[in-house]
Amino acid sequence: MSDWVRWVAPAALASTAILPAHAVEYLSVAEAQRLAFPSATQFIPIAGGACRAMEGSQALGLVVVDHVIGKHLYIDFSVAIGPDGRIRRVDILKYRESYGGEVQNSSWLAQFVGKSNASALRVGSDIRNISGATLSSYHVTEGVKRVLAACAGRVR
Amino acid sequence: MLGAFAKMRRARPLLGTIVEIDATGASARAEAAIESAFDAIADIHRLMSFHDPASDVSRLNRQAALRPIAVDDRTLQVLRFAIDLHERSGGVFDISVARRLQTLGLLPIHDDDETARRLPGSSWAIELTRDQRVRFHDPNTRIDLGGVAKGFAVDCAIAVLRECGVSEGLVNAGGDLASFGERPWTVCLRDPRTPTRLLQEISVRNEAVASSAGRFDPFRSSTVLTSAIVDPDTGKIVSAIAGASVWARSCMSADALTKVVMLQGERAGPLLRDFRARALFVTADGDVHAMADWREAHLAD
Repeated sequence: MSDWVRWVAPAALASTAILPAHAVEYLSVAEAQRLAFPSATQFIPIAGGACRAMEGSQALGLVVVDHVIGKHLYIDFSVAIGPDGRIRRVDILKYRESYGGEVQNSSWLAQFVGKSNASALRVGSDIRNISGATLSSYHVTEGVKRVLAACAGRVR
Repeated sequence: MLGAFAKMRRARPLLGTIVEIDATGASARAEAAIESAFDAIADIHRLMSFHDPASDVSRLNRQAALRPIAVDDRTLQVLRFAIDLHERSGGVFDISVARRLQTLGLLPIHDDDETARRLPGSSWAIELTRDQRVRFHDPNTRIDLGGVAKGFAVDCAIAVLRECGVSEGLVNAGGDLASFGERPWTVCLRDPRTPTRLLQEISVRNEAVASSAGRFDPFRSSTVLTSAIVDPDTGKIVSAIAGASVWARSCMSADALTKVVMLQGERAGPLLRDFRARALFVTADGDVHAMADWREAHLAD
């Protein structure tokens, strides 16, 4: 007796549905700043998408927001850099995966701009949990290295 | 303000993938709990990375053939599990495939490694000594925990969330995931041959699901590359099976057992039963094989 049940191709996979565009907002820029430097009293924008975290007159470090964009993937991330020039934390702010050409389409991307308070998003119902082929985070890691190189010497 | 209970979802690049943590609990506590859970995952990353020369894995690969080496308890726990599974799977699950993966260009060769071109050793050569050290009895043995550490990291993160008083949550490390709490979570399984399509939706509650399939990089393309799973006997990449998903009590078991299913298909049945695990796999031809109790228990309503 077999433990296994088999569905034979092509019928087995003919019914699979296209995964619709998958978009998640985890954190707003302001939330990412606050989490990286909880004691900061203000964040002062400087060049290149970076903000300097200040507690009174003391500089605590930088939070830099950048993105990586590929054929079907767009990821916003933030890098918090301490006064020693080392990375404190990296957060993914927004993740968008799509196969209908939307990622390269600016109006599709625009719908995410300015959305805030990710904490209020309904979780688990409208946001997908996905298992399958493992996604690579190579591009985010390279993006973080790029940010770190650009910020060298500007931390203080 | 939100109510007393907040749902939060955060993501960070760790373990070579994007790790998501969902948590429900009192809001200040949930935020701190997620932070601690990410720290636990970062610890596993630091201890078990093949790429980082300072990791336990790298230290073992450099020195364990010379003398017994002390490692972190968590590394020891994963090694103990991996050696046990190697034995129980008749050598099919083998963390000493690092050499094979290096030969195929799937893992880097470190500069100081003069023996990298030699034949691989085997997990049989790994000894855990009575005083909790690790020794390799074959100078050619090189280990890679890439087939098991991600699942272990998920289990560690879940344990931290529970300890911190979070009431329900889900941790997903690039497709190796586990949930806890009363609520069932819907999980989409990607079709391993066409990852832009949905194979099945399953329901996960107080349990783990892990998947293995070809490498997939939506940054560049919507199609899959070959898998990074190698037959320890032949050194060849698995090609008969396109992808496998395993449901198990722990994510470490689920993660590791996906490799056995990728290599053995239906022959993995008895081992899966031993672990009280269930599996589904898709062959390269597109046939779907599922254990008889897969659908009833796990198809989402």
